Amino acid sequence: MTSSARALVVLAVALALAPLALPPFFLQLLTEIAIVGLFATAFNLLMGFGGMVSFGHAAYFALGAYAAALLVKRAGIPMLLALPAAPLVAAVGALLFGVFIVRLTHTYFAMLSLAFAQIVFTIIFKWKSLTGGDDGLLDVWPPAALKSPAAYYYFTLATVALSLVALHAVSESPFGYALKSVRENPRRARFIGINVRRLQLCAFVISGAFSGLAGGLFAFYNGSIFPDFAYFTKSFEPLVVALLGGAQSFFGPVAGAFAFKILEWLISRQWPVYWPLFLGTIVVLVIVALPQGFVGLAGGRTWWTRVTGKT
Amino acid sequence: MRTRIAMWGVGAVLVVAAAAGPVAAQSKAPIRIGEINSYSGLATVYTFPYREGLLMATKEINDGGGVLGRPLEFIFRDDKLKPDEAVKAARELVGQEKVDFLAGCISSGVGLAISAYAKEAKVLYIATHCQTSRLTWDDGHKYVAHTTNNVNQYVRALAKKAATMPYKKWAHISPDYEYGHNVWDEFFVYLKQLKPDVEVVQQNWPKLGETDHSSYVTALLQSGADAFLSSVWGAQEIAFVKQARPFGLFEKVHYFSASVGNPDELDPLAKEAPVGAITPGFAWYDDGMQKRHPKLAEWVKKYETRTKKEPTLGASWGYASAYIIAEAIKRAKSAETDKVITAFSEGFEMEFPWGKVIMRGCDQQAIPPQWVGVVRMNAQGKPVLADVEEVHGKDVIKSCDEVAKLRAAAAEKKK
Amino acid sequence: MSGLSVGMFLFLVSVGMSLIFGVTRIVNLAHGSFYMVGAYLMVTLVEILPDRPWAFWVALLVAPLGVALLGAVIEVGLLRLIYHRDPLMQLILTFGLILVISTLVLLAWGPDNKSVSRPDALAGSIPIFGQPFPSYYLLVLGLAPVVAVGLWLIFYRTRWGMLIRAATVDREMLGALGVNVSALYTQVFAFGSWLAGLGGALAAPTIAVALGMDGDVLTTAFVVVVIGGLGSFAGSFISALLVGLLQSFGILIFPAVSIVLLFAIMAVVLVVRPWGLLGRPEQ
Repeated sequence: MTSSARALVVLAVALALAPLALPPFFLQLLTEIAIVGLFATAFNLLMGFGGMVSFGHAAYFALGAYAAALLVKRAGIPMLLALPAAPLVAAVGALLFGVFIVRLTHTYFAMLSLAFAQIVFTIIFKWKSLTGGDDGLLDVWPPAALKSPAAYYYFTLATVALSLVALHAVSESPFGYALKSVRENPRRARFIGINVRRLQLCAFVISGAFSGLAGGLFAFYNGSIFPDFAYFTKSFEPLVVALLGGAQSFFGPVAGAFAFKILEWLISRQWPVYWPLFLGTIVVLVIVALPQGFVGLAGGRTWWTRVTGKT
Repeated sequence: MRTRIAMWGVGAVLVVAAAAGPVAAQSKAPIRIGEINSYSGLATVYTFPYREGLLMATKEINDGGGVLGRPLEFIFRDDKLKPDEAVKAARELVGQEKVDFLAGCISSGVGLAISAYAKEAKVLYIATHCQTSRLTWDDGHKYVAHTTNNVNQYVRALAKKAATMPYKKWAHISPDYEYGHNVWDEFFVYLKQLKPDVEVVQQNWPKLGETDHSSYVTALLQSGADAFLSSVWGAQEIAFVKQARPFGLFEKVHYFSASVGNPDELDPLAKEAPVGAITPGFAWYDDGMQKRHPKLAEWVKKYETRTKKEPTLGASWGYASAYIIAEAIKRAKSAETDKVITAFSEGFEMEFPWGKVIMRGCDQQAIPPQWVGVVRMNAQGKPVLADVEEVHGKDVIKSCDEVAKLRAAAAEKKK
Repeated sequence: MSGLSVGMFLFLVSVGMSLIFGVTRIVNLAHGSFYMVGAYLMVTLVEILPDRPWAFWVALLVAPLGVALLGAVIEVGLLRLIYHRDPLMQLILTFGLILVISTLVLLAWGPDNKSVSRPDALAGSIPIFGQPFPSYYLLVLGLAPVVAVGLWLIFYRTRWGMLIRAATVDREMLGALGVNVSALYTQVFAFGSWLAGLGGALAAPTIAVALGMDGDVLTTAFVVVVIGGLGSFAGSFISALLVGLLQSFGILIFPAVSIVLLFAIMAVVLVVRPWGLLGRPEQ
C-alpha cells in the first residue's frame, strides 16, 4: 500500500471509531467539518481544477438546504427521500445561472455568480409564504433514528465520503483532465476539439449539485435554516477554506475545513469579542508564509508549481 | 524562514486558546448560564452596555449570597449575527460546558434558532435582548422565556400616544425585513383600533442598511401625510435623520419613531437631533421618571461608577434579565430545568428601579413599563426625551387568549 | 437630481478601488475598511479641532492622508510579499485585513455610533427646480468631476502617470529600464487608499459613522467598478452615475427589489456586456 493510501485508511478508521472516544459536541463539530469539507471540495472542483472562482456558491448551498427542508416541513416527506432533492434543485439552479456565468472569466465570472446568488437570497428572503423569509424555517430535524449526534455523524460521514469518492472520480477522469487543460490554456484546449463552454458548464453543475447536497446535510444538522445561508458572506467560506487548505490538491479543501473550523472555534470561544482580529491575523500569516496552504505542511501535491512554473 | 515564523505565530495563538481551555473542570457550585449574543461587529453598541447591566446585576446577586446559596455565572459566546453560529455555540455550551440554562440574543433570527434548538435539546432558553414577538407567541413553547419587552408592547404604547393626536393621514418608512413589517403592522392595526379614522397614504420599505434615503424623504414630503412612523433604527436611522433634515421633513410631517429616543442614536446626532419627534425610550434622566421611581437615580449612579458611561435601555434589560433568571430559580427552589420552567409558567412579578416587571405565565413573556416622550434639547444643548409618559405594558399587550390563537395559527401553517 | 449626487458619491467612493485594480491587479477587499477609517478619522479630527468653520475643511484634508499612510504601510509590509502569488491569495489576504481593521476600529473608537455635522455653510438646502436640495451634496457634485478630471490629468499628462500606465502593461520591462517599480506600486496603493479615505471623510456628515459601514460600501464599490469595467475610470464614472440614477428611480418604481437592485443591475450589465461597460477583455 502506498503511504497516502495507508494514511487514508488510518484516517477512516479513526473517524469511524470517533463516537466511542469523543463527546457528542466534538462529533457535531466533526459533522460540521465534514459538511464544510464537502462544500469546499465541490467549490474547488471549479476553482482549483477548473480555474473558475465563484463568489456565489452560497446560492446552491441554500437551494439545497431549502429544497430538502421545505419538502420535509411542507410536504411531509421523510428526510431520506427529501435529501436527494437538495443536489437536484441546486443542480437546476447551477444550470440556469451557469449558462450565463460561464460565458465570463475571472473577476467578471466571480461577480456575476455573486449577483445571481444575491438574487437567490432575495427570492428566499421575500417569498415569505413559502420560505418563511427572515423568520427562517424552524424545527428541521432528522428522523428519530438519525437524530443523535453519533447517528447523524455517521450518516453525514458516509454521505460525504461517497460524495468525495464521486468528486475524486470526476477529477481524475478524462473530464477532469480536460477541465485542467482548459484552465491551463483555453485556446489550446479549443484547438484540440474540447468544447470549453460545455465542459465548464458541466463542471459548474456538478459543483453546484454537491454544494446543494452539503446544504441539505447542513439543514438537518442545524435544525433551522435562514435566508442568510444564501448571503454572499457564506460564499466566502468555501473559498477561504479551500485556499487555506490548498486549492491545488484534492484533499486540500477538506484539510482546510478541518483546520479552519477548529481554529475558528478555538478563537471564538477564547475571545468572544475580538476574535476577528486573531482570525484575520492568522489568515494573513498563513497566506504570507504558506504558499500551498495547510496541505503544504504535509507535503501536498504541487502540480500547480510543476505545471504552471509559478510558486 | 517565513514559513516557520508563521507557524510559530499560529501555534502560539492556538496554545493560548487551548490553555485557556474548557472551563468544565471546576467545582459544581455555580449555576452556569450560557449567554449567546452578538459581541463582535455593529451590534456591540447595544450588547456592550447590555452585558454591563447583566454583570452588574450578577455581582449584586452573588454578593448577596447567590441563588440558593450558589453563585450565578454567565459564560459568553459570540453568535456573529448568524443563527447557525448561535446553534453551534448553544450545542457547545450545553454539550461541553454543561451549562444549566441558555440565554441571550439580539437578532431575532438568532433568538428563533436557539429557541428551536432548546426545544429539541430540552434545555430552558431565556431570551433577553431580541424583540420579536414570535419568540414567545407564534413560535413559543415551554422551553423558551423572554425577559424583556417585545415589539408588540412598545409599538402599541407609541400607537396609544399617536391616537391622542389629530393625525389622520399616515405614511411610514420601515426596513424591509421581519422587524420592519412587524413594527408597522403592530402599530397601524392598534392605532386604527383606537382611532378608526386613520388611513395609510404611503408605504416606504428601504432595504435594511440602506445608506441613501433621499428618494424616500422626497416621497414622504410628497405623500400628503400628516405624520409618519419610522422603524428604521440605529446607524440607518441616524443617516435617515441627517439626510432628511435639510429637506425640512420633520417640520412638515410629524415624526414618530420606534427607536430614535435611544442614546445610541440621539447622542451622535447631537444638534442634528429631530426635535419634536415622538418616540419610546428609557429616559432615566427625566424628572418625572425619577419622581415616580425614587430608586432609579441610585441605580444610574451605580452603573455610571462601574462603566463611566450613562446607562441605556439595553443595560436595564441586561440587569433585569439576570435578576429574573435568579428569581425563577429561587421560586423553583432548584436549578433543574423542569422545575424552573414551572416557576416561569406560574408567572411572578418583580420590582426594579424603573418599575414593576410582570413575568406572565401563559407565555413566559416579560411585561415591563413603557415610556413615550418627545425629543427636545436640554439646557446643555444635548438632545433628550422630555414630557415622558408612562404606560405599563400590561395595558397594551396582547392577551393570553390572543396569544393562544397565534400559536394555534402558526401550528396549523406548519402542518 | 438626488440620483446624480448619489452617483457622484458612488464614483468618489469606488474610484480608489478601480485605480488599485487597474494598476496592481489586486482586488482590494479592504477598500471598505479604508473608507471606514477615513470616516472615523474625520470624527476624531473634528472633535479635537476647535469649533471653527475651518475645522471641517482641515479635517477633510487630513483624514484621507491618514488613510493613505495606512495603505502605504500595508502595501510595504504585506502586499509586497505576495505580488508574485496567485491573485486569489492576495484577495484572501485583503479579506483577512478586513477582519483585522474592523476589530482595531472597535478597539480604538469603541462600539458607539458616531457622527460628524455638516459645516454650517452647507447645512441647509437650496431650491432647485422648486425642490429643496441639500447644499452639502453640492460639494460632492462639485468635487467628483474635479477628482475625475484630476485623475485623468495625472495619468495622461504627468510623467508619474505615464510610468504607472507603463507598469500596467509591462512591469518587468519598466524595472529593466531602471524605474523603481516597487515604489511606484506603493504610491499607487497609497493614492487609492487616499481616495477611499476621502470618500469616507466626505460621506461622514451624511450618514452614521458606525461599525459595519465597511461592508456596505465594499459591495457597492465593487459592483460599481465591475459594471464600469475593471480598471477603467471613465467606466467607473459612467457606471456610478448609472447606478446612482437607477437606484434613486428604481426604489420608487420597484420598491420590492430595493434589496437586490444593485446586483440585478450588475447581472443585467454583465450578461449583456461581459466586460462591463468600458472594460477590456482579460488576457
